[in-house]
Amino acid sequence: MPPSYANLLQGTLDLLILQALSLGELHGLGVSRRIEQITRGTFQVKPGSLFPALHRLEEAGWLASSWGASENNRRAKYYRLTAAGRRQLETEAGEWRRVSLAISLALQAT
Amino acid sequence: MPFLPRVRSLWRNLAHAGQVERELDDELRAYVDLLAAEKEKAGMTPDDARRAARLEAGGVDQLKESVRDAHAGAAVESTLQDLRYGVRLLTRAPGFAALVVLTIALGIGANSAIFSVINAVVRKPLGYPQSDRLMFITSQFPTLGFDKFWVSPPEFFEYRERTRAFADVAAYTTGAVNLSEGTQPERVNAVFATANMFGVLGVPPRLGRAFTAEQDLPNAEPVVVLSHELWQRTFGGDPSAVGRQVEIGGRKTTVVGVAPPAFDLHDARAQVWMPLGLDPANRQNRGSHFLYLVGRLAPGATPERANGELLTMLRQWGQLNPNTHVPNDSTHRIQMAPLRDEVIGNVRVALWVLQGAVALVLLIACANVANLLLARAEARHKEFAVRTALGAGRGRILRQFVAEGIVVAALGAALGLALAYWGLKALLAANPESIPRAAEIGLDPAVLAFTVGVAVLTSVIFGLAPLLHVQQDVVASAIKEGDARSTTTAARNRVRHGLVIAEIALAVMLVTGAGLLLRSFNNLTSVDAGFDPENLATFGVVLPQATYPDGQQRVRFMTDLMRRLEEIPGVENAAAVQGLPPVRQVNANDTEFEGVPQEPGSPPQNVDFYQTVTPDYFTTLGIKIVEGRGFTPADAGGPPVFIVNEALAKRFYPGKSAIGRRMKPFGIDTVPWATIVGVARDVKQAGLEAEVGTELYFNYEQAPAYVGFAPGQMNVVLKSTRPLAALAPAIRQAVAAGDPGLPVVELRTMEAVFGDSVTRQRFLSQLLGIFAAVALVLAAVGTYGILSYMVTQRRREIGIRMALGAGYGQVIRLVLGHGLVMAAVGVGLGIVGALALSRVTRSLLYGVSPLDPLTFAVAASVITVVALAASLVPTRRATRVDPLVAIRAD
Repeated sequence: MPPSYANLLQGTLDLLILQALSLGELHGLGVSRRIEQITRGTFQVKPGSLFPALHRLEEAGWLASSWGASENNRRAKYYRLTAAGRRQLETEAGEWRRVSLAISLALQAT
Repeated sequence: MPFLPRVRSLWRNLAHAGQVERELDDELRAYVDLLAAEKEKAGMTPDDARRAARLEAGGVDQLKESVRDAHAGAAVESTLQDLRYGVRLLTRAPGFAALVVLTIALGIGANSAIFSVINAVVRKPLGYPQSDRLMFITSQFPTLGFDKFWVSPPEFFEYRERTRAFADVAAYTTGAVNLSEGTQPERVNAVFATANMFGVLGVPPRLGRAFTAEQDLPNAEPVVVLSHELWQRTFGGDPSAVGRQVEIGGRKTTVVGVAPPAFDLHDARAQVWMPLGLDPANRQNRGSHFLYLVGRLAPGATPERANGELLTMLRQWGQLNPNTHVPNDSTHRIQMAPLRDEVIGNVRVALWVLQGAVALVLLIACANVANLLLARAEARHKEFAVRTALGAGRGRILRQFVAEGIVVAALGAALGLALAYWGLKALLAANPESIPRAAEIGLDPAVLAFTVGVAVLTSVIFGLAPLLHVQQDVVASAIKEGDARSTTTAARNRVRHGLVIAEIALAVMLVTGAGLLLRSFNNLTSVDAGFDPENLATFGVVLPQATYPDGQQRVRFMTDLMRRLEEIPGVENAAAVQGLPPVRQVNANDTEFEGVPQEPGSPPQNVDFYQTVTPDYFTTLGIKIVEGRGFTPADAGGPPVFIVNEALAKRFYPGKSAIGRRMKPFGIDTVPWATIVGVARDVKQAGLEAEVGTELYFNYEQAPAYVGFAPGQMNVVLKSTRPLAALAPAIRQAVAAGDPGLPVVELRTMEAVFGDSVTRQRFLSQLLGIFAAVALVLAAVGTYGILSYMVTQRRREIGIRMALGAGYGQVIRLVLGHGLVMAAVGVGLGIVGALALSRVTRSLLYGVSPLDPLTFAVAASVITVVALAASLVPTRRATRVDPLVAIRAD
């Protein structure tokens, strides 16, 4: 079992969702699978965190949604990045890189 | 977070909640389906896949809840939910809900009603631009006891010319004139003002223009500015009315303007505005005081500066004009006060007393509702315990309480506003002219805001009251014991009893206040006015200068009218009088008394009321002639004679007889001496509550020959046992027979005249009486509630006592005694409170001390009796407790 990140920081989750959607539109399960894939299984996002986050990001105007047919021909709600979302992704990614670099440096300093 | 999208989604979530909810449902179902499909593909059976998917997704409902919490407006949503829940709870207990809502409605309604009065009368500025710059200027004769007296024309002109602190000063006087437009004559209220009045007030006429200084000179062509209301009524709002003519006082008068709606001056209820017609060149008649002045402060001038300037002028006035009658700073002052204070007058104290009273009512209502909710919280003990155990935080339960409080308060406030609106309308209709600016009273944003504020405050107060209860040990005690009848209730009971005692105390204060006002009002109505108003009817008639220019002509008309009136079957006597008692304005005239030396340095000797009457006046009103004789028809052609009242005789001829003494009226040398032939009993002239002033009666029939003048504006008084309605047609006929162009105005019984003279006191005592009654009812309900509750709570104890041999007597003592103790403590505290308030109420009382022991005793016993009565039902219930059932119940 991969470690459970119950207290996954909200900002991190938002960043992961935005990143997951940067390659194209996905439905809820798709987002969760893509995150699993791009984090090589480190993060498994539970629906209880995923859906509130998706709705929150949509309300913030960073995601847009539309109804479409899924791979097995079911109706599903697809999310995609808006222009504002793409800008937000860049900002947050930059922020994250700075923070993670700083923390890596701190940890190497022994 | 970006602002705009946020607002958009807030709107979407609230306005299209149904759709949002459906889509969320679809989305989550699709998720579970997709998850199941994935698992099926991995080799699970469809059923297993479905079950596993559901398990993995967690409860769909919890999932939905967590998404909803993320939505914009989640707080609003859950509050709405609380409110809905509150409404549902109340509809489940309609009796309880009705009681609570009604209680609050009474409390809030009373407050909104009084606040709307205060708002209109005291708080709102007068309806003139920069009305705080307007000052009201009057004269004052400290040695004669006249405060707020009129100013004479020469004083007005001199003041206006010399003041620098005022941009302009205007003068006016009020009266009434006959107006006819077409055939039907009517009597309208008039303000006679100097041409600059509209300018000083800062309100130009809506149509046309104000009269000019030229039109305001003596003997100018008559012009008039109509009130908006009169213009609407007589000209149907036709703009071409300006320039047309109406007949006023028998003269063709040109309409030059129409005032804006509701334009008035010092509650004159002006229907026409006419030029005063003063001659600025004429500086004679300094003693003829009949003007009120209104001044607008010059830009930059303060009231203090204006006052300082006035004081300086008063000191120098004598040098300016070495006359006997110029203003000075000791005996003949000129004073000023903001126009607004003048208009509001002494009603301010009364209104604040009322506001205090309704605040007490609201407190009682709150205490009651708090108690009711406490008792109910007790009943809902388990509900809360279960909810708490299921994880509802204290915050959540608290929110629930407040939400219920808000629902109740909102309903109560709505009902209260309706009560206030209609109740006030009814009261004002029943007591017209009882308060100044009454026409401006109504519901406006300020009143609504006040009501909402009070409602929010009350909802928080009693919404939180049950928390006293929930606060401690909810879960522990409720779940362990399964009931609330444990020893921990002692503290709560103290709170509850405290609330009821407070209610009783507040009710005592209100009932005492109402009792004092009621006694004052009774004293007023039973005051001896010097004559009995029973079986007297009265109306006004005005003989216009234009058609009755000659005094003899007027006397002839009046004498004929009296004769015709006395011919009406059932009419015993008829008389005419210039100033109708018991309230008329002081007309204080300088008068010379033969053999009574003028004290040096004091102002000229003066009589408060000059009165002119037809000879039958004393007989008709039943006013006793205590010495000498009354007027007789023979006086008409004889030497001039006077009748004086006892107050005058006592004042100027103390210890001696006034009969045979001579007086010279008006302080004018050319008027000959006249002899006092009779002394009449004192008759109230300045109002029932006021001291009787000195009064001098002229004989109407002698007046033209004696002083060259007979008043044209007279009040007719008839003595008849027949009802007024039966007499009215004959009265109108009798007047029309003399002159069909004369209106019969204000035809009413003398008792109605008396009633109108105390309308404000009646209004006050009625209102306070209503509030006291409400307070009584609420206190009774409160006492009843707490004792019933106590009996229910102590059922078991009572049962055990009875089983141990306690008789009915002991049980009754237990419950009734409890009620009595609460009543006694409450009454005691209430009396202390009422005593503390006596300083405030003193100025509103007449003929009764604010510490009147009788009123206090009656109020205390009324409350005690009410509290006892409220205790009876619970007591009865206690005696019916069946020991077996009560003990077994647990």
